[in-house]
Amino acid sequence: MEKKFDDDMLVCRCEEITVGEIRQAIAEGALDVVGVKRRTRAGMGLCQGKTCEKMVQQILAQELCIGPEQTGSSSIRPPVRPITFGTLAGGIK
Amino acid sequence: MKSYDVVVIGGGVMGTSTAYQLAKRGYSVAIIEQNDIASGTASHTDGATLISDKQPGIDVLQGYHSVELYRKLSQEFSYDIEFSSCGFMYVCETDQEMAAAAEYAAKVRAQGFEMRVIDPKEMCEREKYLAKDLKGGLWTESDGLVNPYKVCFGFVEEARKYGLDVYTKHEVKGIKLGPNNQVEAVITDRGTFLTKKVVNACGVWAPFIGNMVGLNIPIEPRKGMLLVTEKAETIAHTEVLEFGYWLAKFFADFKRPVSELVEKHNVCLNIETTHSGNTIVGGCRLFRGYDLKSEYEIMQAIAERAIRFFPVLKDMNCIRTFSGLRPFCLDHLPIVSGVDEVPGFYIAAGHEGDGIALAPITGLLIAQIIAGEKTEFDATELGWNRFKGKDMAKLAEHPH
Repeated sequence: MEKKFDDDMLVCRCEEITVGEIRQAIAEGALDVVGVKRRTRAGMGLCQGKTCEKMVQQILAQELCIGPEQTGSSSIRPPVRPITFGTLAGGIK
Repeated sequence: MKSYDVVVIGGGVMGTSTAYQLAKRGYSVAIIEQNDIASGTASHTDGATLISDKQPGIDVLQGYHSVELYRKLSQEFSYDIEFSSCGFMYVCETDQEMAAAAEYAAKVRAQGFEMRVIDPKEMCEREKYLAKDLKGGLWTESDGLVNPYKVCFGFVEEARKYGLDVYTKHEVKGIKLGPNNQVEAVITDRGTFLTKKVVNACGVWAPFIGNMVGLNIPIEPRKGMLLVTEKAETIAHTEVLEFGYWLAKFFADFKRPVSELVEKHNVCLNIETTHSGNTIVGGCRLFRGYDLKSEYEIMQAIAERAIRFFPVLKDMNCIRTFSGLRPFCLDHLPIVSGVDEVPGFYIAAGHEGDGIALAPITGLLIAQIIAGEKTEFDATELGWNRFKGKDMAKLAEHPH
Protein backbone atom coordinates (compact mmCIF):
# COMPACT_ATOMS: atom_id res chain seq x y z
CA MET A 1 0.00 0.00 0.00
CA GLU A 2 2.77 2.44 0.87
CA LYS A 3 4.53 2.01 -2.46
CA LYS A 4 3.35 4.48 -5.12
CA PHE A 5 2.73 2.92 -8.52
CA ASP A 6 4.40 4.33 -11.64
CA ASP A 7 2.09 6.37 -13.89
CA ASP A 8 2.77 4.23 -16.96
CA MET A 9 1.90 0.94 -15.29
CA LEU A 10 -1.07 -0.84 -16.89
CA VAL A 11 -3.99 -1.42 -14.50
CA CYS A 12 -6.93 -2.48 -16.67
CA ARG A 13 -5.63 -4.93 -19.24
CA CYS A 14 -8.90 -5.26 -21.15
CA GLU A 15 -9.16 -1.53 -21.85
CA GLU A 16 -5.42 -0.72 -21.53
CA ILE A 17 -5.79 1.92 -18.82
CA THR A 18 -2.72 3.07 -16.87
CA VAL A 19 -2.17 4.26 -13.31
CA GLY A 20 -1.62 7.78 -14.66
CA GLU A 21 -5.00 7.84 -16.40
CA ILE A 22 -6.70 6.69 -13.22
CA ARG A 23 -4.93 9.40 -11.19
CA GLN A 24 -6.08 11.94 -13.78
CA ALA A 25 -9.70 10.74 -13.41
CA ILE A 26 -9.44 11.13 -9.63
CA ALA A 27 -8.06 14.65 -10.10
CA GLU A 28 -11.10 15.39 -12.30
CA GLY A 29 -13.48 14.35 -9.55
CA ALA A 30 -13.79 10.54 -9.49
CA LEU A 31 -14.56 9.50 -5.93
CA ASP A 32 -14.85 5.73 -6.22
CA VAL A 33 -14.41 2.69 -8.46
CA VAL A 34 -17.51 3.52 -10.51
CA GLY A 35 -16.41 7.13 -10.95
CA VAL A 36 -13.01 5.96 -12.23
CA LYS A 37 -14.71 3.46 -14.52
CA ARG A 38 -16.91 6.08 -16.19
CA ARG A 39 -14.05 8.49 -16.68
CA THR A 40 -11.46 5.98 -17.95
CA ARG A 41 -13.26 2.71 -18.96
CA ALA A 42 -11.14 0.79 -16.41
CA GLY A 43 -13.32 -2.24 -15.60
CA MET A 44 -15.57 -1.97 -18.65
CA GLY A 45 -13.82 -4.65 -20.68
CA LEU A 46 -14.25 -8.35 -21.20
CA CYS A 47 -13.41 -9.29 -17.60
CA GLN A 48 -15.63 -6.53 -16.17
CA GLY A 49 -13.06 -5.43 -13.60
CA LYS A 50 -12.38 -8.84 -12.13
CA THR A 51 -8.64 -8.25 -12.62
CA CYS A 52 -8.19 -4.53 -12.02
CA GLU A 53 -10.80 -3.52 -9.45
CA LYS A 54 -8.59 -4.22 -6.41
CA MET A 55 -5.82 -2.12 -7.87
CA VAL A 56 -8.16 0.74 -8.78
CA GLN A 57 -9.32 0.65 -5.15
CA GLN A 58 -5.69 0.89 -3.97
CA ILE A 59 -4.98 3.88 -6.19
CA LEU A 60 -8.16 5.61 -5.00
CA ALA A 61 -7.21 4.95 -1.37
CA GLN A 62 -3.74 6.40 -1.93
CA GLU A 63 -4.83 9.46 -3.90
CA LEU A 64 -7.82 10.41 -1.74
CA CYS A 65 -6.29 9.28 1.58
CA ILE A 66 -9.32 7.12 2.36
CA GLY A 67 -9.74 3.57 3.56
CA PRO A 68 -10.12 0.82 0.94
CA GLU A 69 -13.67 0.20 2.17
CA GLN A 70 -14.60 3.76 1.12
CA THR A 71 -13.51 3.23 -2.48
CA GLY A 72 -16.63 1.29 -3.42
CA SER A 73 -16.90 -1.41 -6.02
CA SER A 74 -18.48 -1.86 -9.42
CA SER A 75 -22.17 -2.82 -9.44
CA ILE A 76 -22.56 -6.56 -9.90
CA ARG A 77 -24.61 -7.28 -13.01
CA PRO A 78 -25.31 -10.47 -14.90
CA PRO A 79 -23.95 -12.35 -16.73
CA VAL A 80 -21.22 -13.55 -14.35
CA ARG A 81 -19.10 -14.50 -17.33
CA PRO A 82 -19.57 -13.84 -21.07
CA ILE A 83 -22.45 -15.81 -22.61
CA THR A 84 -23.55 -15.80 -26.26
CA PHE A 85 -26.77 -14.06 -27.25
CA GLY A 86 -27.89 -17.37 -28.75
CA THR A 87 -27.54 -19.19 -25.45
CA LEU A 88 -29.11 -16.33 -23.56
CA ALA A 89 -32.11 -16.30 -25.90
CA GLY A 90 -32.79 -19.91 -25.01
CA GLY A 91 -30.50 -21.82 -27.30
CA ILE A 92 -30.95 -20.17 -30.71
CA LYS A 93 -28.51 -22.02 -32.96
CA MET B 1 -22.24 30.75 3.63
CA LYS B 2 -21.82 30.10 -0.08
CA SER B 3 -23.87 32.15 -2.49
CA TYR B 4 -24.63 31.66 -6.20
CA ASP B 5 -26.77 33.31 -8.87
CA VAL B 6 -28.16 29.88 -9.78
CA VAL B 7 -27.99 26.49 -8.08
CA VAL B 8 -28.60 23.53 -10.36
CA ILE B 9 -29.71 20.41 -8.51
CA GLY B 10 -28.65 17.27 -10.33
CA GLY B 11 -25.36 16.46 -12.08
CA GLY B 12 -26.88 14.48 -14.92
CA VAL B 13 -27.18 15.44 -18.53
CA MET B 14 -29.88 18.11 -17.93
CA GLY B 15 -28.11 19.69 -14.98
CA THR B 16 -24.68 19.81 -16.59
CA SER B 17 -26.09 21.17 -19.87
CA THR B 18 -28.07 23.86 -18.04
CA ALA B 19 -25.09 24.77 -15.84
CA TYR B 20 -22.88 25.09 -18.92
CA GLN B 21 -25.28 27.47 -20.66
CA LEU B 22 -25.72 29.58 -17.53
CA ALA B 23 -22.00 29.74 -16.67
CA LYS B 24 -21.28 30.73 -20.26
CA ARG B 25 -23.68 33.67 -19.82
CA GLY B 26 -21.69 34.92 -16.85
CA TYR B 27 -23.84 33.66 -13.99
CA SER B 28 -22.17 32.21 -10.91
CA VAL B 29 -23.41 28.63 -10.92
CA ALA B 30 -23.13 25.59 -8.66
CA ILE B 31 -24.18 22.03 -9.41
CA ILE B 32 -25.32 20.13 -6.34
CA GLU B 33 -25.34 16.39 -6.88
CA GLN B 34 -26.17 13.67 -4.36
CA ASN B 35 -23.70 11.18 -5.84
CA ASP B 36 -21.32 11.90 -8.75
CA ILE B 37 -21.58 13.58 -12.14
CA ALA B 38 -23.42 11.26 -14.55
CA SER B 39 -24.14 8.69 -11.86
CA GLY B 40 -27.89 8.36 -12.44
CA THR B 41 -29.82 7.93 -15.65
CA ALA B 42 -27.14 9.58 -17.83
CA SER B 43 -24.75 6.67 -17.33
CA HIS B 44 -27.44 4.00 -17.57
CA THR B 45 -28.59 4.49 -21.13
CA ASP B 46 -27.52 4.50 -24.75
CA GLY B 47 -26.37 7.53 -26.71
CA ALA B 48 -29.04 7.98 -29.36
CA THR B 49 -29.48 11.60 -30.39
CA LEU B 50 -32.47 11.50 -32.69
CA ILE B 51 -35.34 13.50 -34.03
CA SER B 52 -36.74 10.25 -35.35
CA ASP B 53 -38.28 8.83 -32.20
CA LYS B 54 -40.33 11.94 -31.48
CA GLN B 55 -43.94 12.88 -32.12
CA PRO B 56 -44.47 15.37 -34.95
CA GLY B 57 -44.83 18.86 -33.46
CA ILE B 58 -42.85 20.42 -30.61
CA ASP B 59 -41.21 17.08 -29.86
CA VAL B 60 -39.55 16.80 -33.28
CA LEU B 61 -38.79 20.53 -33.24
CA GLN B 62 -36.85 20.34 -29.97
CA GLY B 63 -35.13 17.16 -31.19
CA TYR B 64 -33.95 18.94 -34.31
CA HIS B 65 -32.56 21.93 -32.39
CA SER B 66 -30.84 19.61 -29.95
CA VAL B 67 -29.09 17.43 -32.53
CA GLU B 68 -27.89 20.57 -34.32
CA LEU B 69 -26.55 21.89 -30.99
CA TYR B 70 -24.64 18.64 -30.45
CA ARG B 71 -23.07 19.08 -33.86
CA LYS B 72 -21.89 22.57 -32.85
CA LEU B 73 -20.84 21.73 -29.26
CA SER B 74 -18.84 18.70 -30.35
CA GLN B 75 -16.75 21.06 -32.50
CA GLU B 76 -16.34 23.65 -29.75
CA PHE B 77 -15.59 21.40 -26.78
CA SER B 78 -12.03 20.38 -25.99
CA TYR B 79 -13.51 17.29 -24.29
CA ASP B 80 -14.48 14.51 -26.72
CA ILE B 81 -18.17 13.63 -26.30
CA GLU B 82 -17.92 11.02 -29.10
CA PHE B 83 -20.57 12.65 -31.26
CA SER B 84 -21.09 10.74 -34.46
CA SER B 85 -23.46 11.75 -37.21
CA CYS B 86 -24.03 8.16 -38.24
CA GLY B 87 -27.66 8.45 -39.33
CA PHE B 88 -30.63 6.57 -38.06
CA MET B 89 -32.71 3.70 -39.39
CA TYR B 90 -36.14 2.43 -38.43
CA VAL B 91 -36.72 -1.14 -39.52
CA CYS B 92 -40.16 -2.61 -40.19
CA GLU B 93 -41.05 -6.25 -39.88
CA THR B 94 -44.58 -6.18 -41.29
CA ASP B 95 -46.54 -4.36 -44.01
CA GLN B 96 -48.74 -2.84 -41.31
CA GLU B 97 -45.69 -1.31 -39.62
CA MET B 98 -44.38 -0.11 -42.98
CA ALA B 99 -47.66 1.68 -43.71
CA ALA B 100 -47.63 3.36 -40.27
CA ALA B 101 -43.97 4.29 -40.76
CA ALA B 102 -44.58 5.91 -44.16
CA GLU B 103 -47.44 7.92 -42.70
CA TYR B 104 -45.26 9.04 -39.77
CA ALA B 105 -42.37 10.03 -42.07
CA ALA B 106 -44.74 12.11 -44.20
CA LYS B 107 -45.85 14.03 -41.10
CA VAL B 108 -42.24 14.67 -40.09
CA ARG B 109 -41.40 15.83 -43.63
CA ALA B 110 -44.47 18.11 -43.64
CA GLN B 111 -42.88 19.85 -40.66
CA GLY B 112 -39.78 20.50 -42.78
CA PHE B 113 -37.50 17.76 -41.45
CA GLU B 114 -35.87 15.06 -43.44
CA MET B 115 -36.94 11.43 -43.07
CA ARG B 116 -37.50 9.09 -45.99
CA VAL B 117 -38.75 5.60 -46.70
CA ILE B 118 -36.03 3.16 -47.73
CA ASP B 119 -36.26 -0.30 -49.25
CA PRO B 120 -34.71 -3.52 -47.90
CA LYS B 121 -31.88 -3.26 -50.46
CA GLU B 122 -30.72 0.13 -49.20
CA MET B 123 -31.15 -1.04 -45.61
CA CYS B 124 -28.83 -3.99 -46.16
CA GLU B 125 -26.29 -1.78 -47.95
CA ARG B 126 -26.17 0.47 -44.91
CA GLU B 127 -26.29 -2.38 -42.40
CA LYS B 128 -24.60 -5.50 -43.72
CA TYR B 129 -25.56 -7.63 -40.70
CA LEU B 130 -29.25 -6.74 -40.82
CA ALA B 131 -31.77 -9.58 -41.44
CA LYS B 132 -32.62 -9.86 -45.13
CA ASP B 133 -36.38 -10.47 -44.80
CA LEU B 134 -37.52 -7.06 -43.51
CA LYS B 135 -40.20 -5.04 -45.31
CA GLY B 136 -38.44 -1.70 -45.37
CA GLY B 137 -37.65 1.18 -43.12
CA LEU B 138 -37.09 4.88 -42.57
CA TRP B 139 -33.82 6.79 -42.85
CA THR B 140 -32.79 10.05 -41.15
CA GLU B 141 -29.39 11.21 -42.29
CA SER B 142 -28.90 13.91 -39.64
CA ASP B 143 -29.41 11.73 -36.55
CA GLY B 144 -26.51 10.43 -34.56
CA LEU B 145 -24.91 9.21 -31.38
CA VAL B 146 -22.99 10.55 -28.41
CA ASN B 147 -21.41 8.97 -25.37
CA PRO B 148 -24.02 9.89 -22.74
CA TYR B 149 -21.82 10.14 -19.66
CA LYS B 150 -19.01 11.84 -21.57
CA VAL B 151 -21.53 14.50 -22.57
CA CYS B 152 -21.98 15.24 -18.85
CA PHE B 153 -18.24 15.33 -18.17
CA GLY B 154 -17.81 17.50 -21.28
CA PHE B 155 -20.41 20.05 -20.13
CA VAL B 156 -18.76 20.18 -16.69
CA GLU B 157 -15.22 20.59 -18.04
CA GLU B 158 -16.31 23.35 -20.44
CA ALA B 159 -18.45 25.10 -17.79
CA ARG B 160 -15.54 25.07 -15.33
CA LYS B 161 -13.73 27.37 -17.77
CA TYR B 162 -16.51 29.88 -16.99
CA GLY B 163 -16.28 29.33 -13.24
CA LEU B 164 -18.77 26.52 -12.53
CA ASP B 165 -18.47 24.94 -9.06
CA VAL B 166 -19.45 21.30 -8.60
CA TYR B 167 -20.50 19.83 -5.24
CA THR B 168 -20.77 16.07 -5.52
CA LYS B 169 -21.88 13.88 -2.59
CA HIS B 170 -24.14 16.72 -1.44
CA GLU B 171 -27.70 15.68 -0.74
CA VAL B 172 -30.40 18.33 -0.92
CA LYS B 173 -32.51 18.29 2.25
CA GLY B 174 -34.74 21.28 1.65
CA ILE B 175 -35.33 24.51 -0.23
CA LYS B 176 -35.87 27.67 1.80
CA LEU B 177 -38.62 29.91 0.49
CA GLY B 178 -39.27 33.55 1.35
CA PRO B 179 -42.56 35.30 2.28
CA ASN B 180 -43.70 35.42 -1.36
CA ASN B 181 -42.89 31.75 -1.85
CA GLN B 182 -39.69 32.78 -3.68
CA VAL B 183 -36.51 30.70 -3.57
CA GLU B 184 -33.92 31.87 -1.01
CA ALA B 185 -31.57 28.97 -0.35
CA VAL B 186 -30.83 25.30 -0.93
CA ILE B 187 -30.15 23.30 2.20
CA THR B 188 -27.89 20.24 1.87
CA ASP B 189 -26.46 17.70 4.31
CA ARG B 190 -23.16 19.57 3.98
CA GLY B 191 -24.24 23.18 4.25
CA THR B 192 -26.62 25.81 2.91
CA PHE B 193 -26.26 27.57 -0.45
CA LEU B 194 -27.83 31.01 -0.79
CA THR B 195 -29.46 31.59 -4.17
CA LYS B 196 -32.52 33.17 -5.73
CA LYS B 197 -32.76 30.64 -8.54
CA VAL B 198 -32.87 26.85 -8.44
CA VAL B 199 -33.07 24.47 -11.37
CA ASN B 200 -34.57 21.08 -10.58
CA ALA B 201 -32.74 18.83 -13.04
CA CYS B 202 -33.19 15.61 -11.11
CA GLY B 203 -34.90 13.43 -13.70
CA VAL B 204 -36.66 10.54 -11.96
CA TRP B 205 -35.86 12.14 -8.62
CA ALA B 206 -37.37 15.53 -9.63
CA PRO B 207 -40.64 14.83 -7.74
CA PHE B 208 -38.72 14.66 -4.42
CA ILE B 209 -37.23 18.12 -5.02
CA GLY B 210 -40.66 19.34 -6.19
CA ASN B 211 -42.22 18.17 -2.92
CA MET B 212 -39.80 20.42 -1.03
CA VAL B 213 -41.53 23.48 -2.55
CA GLY B 214 -45.04 22.01 -2.52
CA LEU B 215 -45.19 20.87 -6.15
CA ASN B 216 -46.56 17.55 -7.36
CA ILE B 217 -44.35 16.85 -10.39
CA PRO B 218 -45.94 14.10 -12.53
CA ILE B 219 -42.78 12.11 -13.30
CA GLU B 220 -42.32 8.38 -12.68
CA PRO B 221 -39.29 6.13 -13.18
CA ARG B 222 -39.62 3.88 -16.23
CA LYS B 223 -36.97 1.20 -16.40
CA GLY B 224 -35.00 0.38 -19.52
CA MET B 225 -32.63 -2.58 -19.79
CA LEU B 226 -29.65 -2.91 -22.11
CA LEU B 227 -27.21 -5.68 -23.05
CA VAL B 228 -23.55 -5.01 -23.89
CA THR B 229 -21.57 -7.17 -26.30
CA GLU B 230 -17.87 -7.90 -26.23
CA LYS B 231 -15.73 -5.71 -28.50
CA ALA B 232 -15.83 -6.74 -32.13
CA GLU B 233 -16.04 -5.18 -35.54
CA THR B 234 -18.86 -2.68 -35.94
CA ILE B 235 -22.15 -4.57 -35.87
CA ALA B 236 -24.44 -1.56 -36.30
CA HIS B 237 -23.06 1.20 -38.51
CA THR B 238 -26.01 3.47 -37.80
CA GLU B 239 -28.42 3.78 -34.90
CA VAL B 240 -31.16 1.21 -35.52
CA LEU B 241 -34.59 0.87 -33.93
CA GLU B 242 -37.48 -1.36 -34.86
CA PHE B 243 -40.44 0.81 -35.79
CA GLY B 244 -42.53 -1.17 -33.34
CA TYR B 245 -40.55 0.69 -30.67
CA TRP B 246 -42.06 3.99 -31.73
CA LEU B 247 -45.54 2.48 -32.06
CA ALA B 248 -45.26 0.84 -28.65
CA LYS B 249 -44.02 4.11 -27.13
CA PHE B 250 -47.09 6.07 -28.14
CA PHE B 251 -49.79 3.44 -28.74
CA ALA B 252 -50.18 0.97 -25.90
CA ASP B 253 -52.56 -1.30 -27.85
CA PHE B 254 -50.24 -1.87 -30.81
CA LYS B 255 -49.47 -5.60 -31.38
CA ARG B 256 -46.52 -7.21 -33.19
CA PRO B 257 -45.95 -10.78 -34.42
CA VAL B 258 -43.59 -11.67 -31.59
CA SER B 259 -43.04 -14.45 -29.05
CA GLU B 260 -44.92 -14.52 -25.77
CA LEU B 261 -41.79 -13.50 -23.89
CA VAL B 262 -41.09 -10.48 -26.11
CA GLU B 263 -44.74 -9.46 -25.97
CA LYS B 264 -44.94 -9.90 -22.20
CA HIS B 265 -42.10 -7.45 -21.58
CA ASN B 266 -42.82 -5.19 -24.55
CA VAL B 267 -39.24 -5.61 -25.80
CA CYS B 268 -38.30 -3.67 -28.95
CA LEU B 269 -34.93 -3.67 -30.66
CA ASN B 270 -32.60 -0.73 -30.43
CA ILE B 271 -28.95 -1.17 -31.25
CA GLU B 272 -25.82 0.93 -31.59
CA THR B 273 -22.10 0.23 -31.73
CA THR B 274 -20.16 2.66 -29.55
CA HIS B 275 -16.73 4.24 -30.13
CA SER B 276 -15.20 1.59 -27.92
CA GLY B 277 -16.37 -1.20 -30.25
CA ASN B 278 -18.96 -2.64 -27.90
CA THR B 279 -22.48 -2.91 -29.19
CA ILE B 280 -25.35 -1.88 -26.92
CA VAL B 281 -28.65 -3.67 -27.45
CA GLY B 282 -32.07 -3.00 -25.95
CA GLY B 283 -34.65 -2.40 -24.96
CA CYS B 284 -37.79 -2.19 -22.91
CA ARG B 285 -39.88 0.26 -20.93
CA LEU B 286 -41.10 -1.02 -17.60
CA PHE B 287 -42.69 0.45 -14.50
CA ARG B 288 -40.75 -1.08 -11.59
CA GLY B 289 -40.41 1.84 -9.20
CA TYR B 290 -36.76 2.66 -8.57
CA ASP B 291 -35.52 -0.93 -8.95
CA LEU B 292 -32.46 -1.32 -11.21
CA LYS B 293 -32.06 -5.11 -11.19
CA SER B 294 -31.20 -6.87 -14.44
CA GLU B 295 -34.17 -9.18 -14.98
CA TYR B 296 -33.35 -12.53 -16.49
CA GLU B 297 -36.51 -12.95 -18.61
CA ILE B 298 -35.99 -9.53 -20.11
CA MET B 299 -32.35 -10.30 -20.89
CA GLN B 300 -33.63 -13.38 -22.74
CA ALA B 301 -36.29 -11.41 -24.60
CA ILE B 302 -33.85 -8.67 -25.65
CA ALA B 303 -31.35 -11.27 -26.89
CA GLU B 304 -34.10 -13.02 -28.86
CA ARG B 305 -35.33 -9.79 -30.43
CA ALA B 306 -31.78 -8.66 -31.25
CA ILE B 307 -31.02 -11.93 -33.05
CA ARG B 308 -34.26 -11.54 -35.06
CA PHE B 309 -32.90 -8.35 -36.61
CA PHE B 310 -29.12 -8.98 -36.36
CA PRO B 311 -28.65 -12.76 -36.67
CA VAL B 312 -24.86 -12.36 -36.32
CA LEU B 313 -25.37 -11.63 -32.62
CA LYS B 314 -26.29 -15.23 -31.83
CA ASP B 315 -22.62 -16.22 -31.66
CA MET B 316 -21.44 -13.01 -29.96
CA ASN B 317 -20.94 -12.69 -26.25
CA CYS B 318 -22.95 -10.55 -23.89
CA ILE B 319 -20.51 -9.27 -21.22
CA ARG B 320 -22.85 -7.11 -19.17
CA THR B 321 -26.41 -5.99 -18.70
CA PHE B 322 -27.60 -2.83 -17.03
CA SER B 323 -30.77 -0.87 -16.37
CA GLY B 324 -31.58 2.80 -16.23
CA LEU B 325 -34.53 4.79 -14.93
CA ARG B 326 -36.11 7.01 -17.56
CA PRO B 327 -38.08 9.96 -16.20
CA PHE B 328 -41.50 9.23 -17.69
CA CYS B 329 -43.71 12.32 -17.75
CA LEU B 330 -47.42 11.69 -17.90
CA ASP B 331 -48.06 13.51 -21.19
CA HIS B 332 -44.87 12.29 -22.93
CA LEU B 333 -43.29 15.75 -22.99
CA PRO B 334 -40.52 17.06 -20.72
CA ILE B 335 -41.09 19.93 -18.32
CA VAL B 336 -38.81 22.82 -19.27
CA SER B 337 -39.86 26.06 -17.60
CA GLY B 338 -40.12 28.24 -14.54
CA VAL B 339 -42.90 27.82 -12.01
CA ASP B 340 -45.09 30.91 -11.46
CA GLU B 341 -46.22 29.91 -7.99
CA VAL B 342 -42.62 29.46 -6.74
CA PRO B 343 -40.59 32.40 -8.15
CA GLY B 344 -37.02 31.36 -8.86
CA PHE B 345 -37.84 27.65 -9.19
CA TYR B 346 -37.25 26.04 -12.60
CA ILE B 347 -37.80 22.49 -13.82
CA ALA B 348 -35.75 20.68 -16.48
CA ALA B 349 -36.91 17.08 -16.19
CA GLY B 350 -39.23 14.41 -17.53
CA HIS B 351 -37.58 13.50 -20.85
CA GLU B 352 -38.16 9.75 -20.52
CA GLY B 353 -35.90 8.05 -23.08
CA ASP B 354 -34.96 11.28 -24.87
CA GLY B 355 -32.89 12.99 -22.22
CA ILE B 356 -29.52 12.48 -23.85
CA ALA B 357 -30.87 13.68 -27.19
CA LEU B 358 -32.68 16.69 -25.72
CA ALA B 359 -30.18 17.87 -23.08
CA PRO B 360 -28.51 20.54 -25.24
CA ILE B 361 -31.76 22.27 -26.16
CA THR B 362 -33.24 21.90 -22.67
CA GLY B 363 -30.17 23.50 -21.08
CA LEU B 364 -30.28 26.31 -23.62
CA LEU B 365 -34.02 26.95 -23.12
CA ILE B 366 -33.71 27.10 -19.32
CA ALA B 367 -30.72 29.46 -19.56
CA GLN B 368 -32.64 31.67 -22.02
CA ILE B 369 -35.70 31.69 -19.74
CA ILE B 370 -33.57 32.59 -16.69
CA ALA B 371 -31.67 35.27 -18.61
CA GLY B 372 -34.90 36.72 -19.99
CA GLU B 373 -33.70 36.14 -23.56
CA LYS B 374 -35.96 35.21 -26.45
CA THR B 375 -36.14 31.41 -26.45
CA GLU B 376 -34.89 29.39 -29.41
CA PHE B 377 -38.51 28.62 -30.32
CA ASP B 378 -41.87 28.98 -28.56
CA ALA B 379 -41.57 26.47 -25.71
CA THR B 380 -44.94 27.17 -24.07
CA GLU B 381 -46.00 23.55 -24.65
CA LEU B 382 -43.14 22.40 -22.41
CA GLY B 383 -44.20 24.70 -19.59
CA TRP B 384 -45.32 23.82 -16.09
CA ASN B 385 -48.53 25.76 -16.72
CA ARG B 386 -49.82 22.96 -18.94
CA PHE B 387 -50.70 21.00 -15.78
CA LYS B 388 -52.72 23.83 -14.28
CA GLY B 389 -56.31 22.79 -13.64
CA LYS B 390 -55.55 19.25 -14.89
CA ASP B 391 -56.66 16.25 -12.91
CA MET B 392 -53.26 14.71 -12.14
CA ALA B 393 -54.81 11.44 -10.96
CA LYS B 394 -56.65 11.04 -14.25
CA LEU B 395 -53.49 11.93 -16.17
CA ALA B 396 -51.70 9.24 -14.19
CA GLU B 397 -53.92 6.45 -15.53
CA HIS B 398 -51.53 4.58 -17.79
CA PRO B 399 -50.83 0.88 -18.31
CA HIS B 400 -48.36 -0.41 -15.71
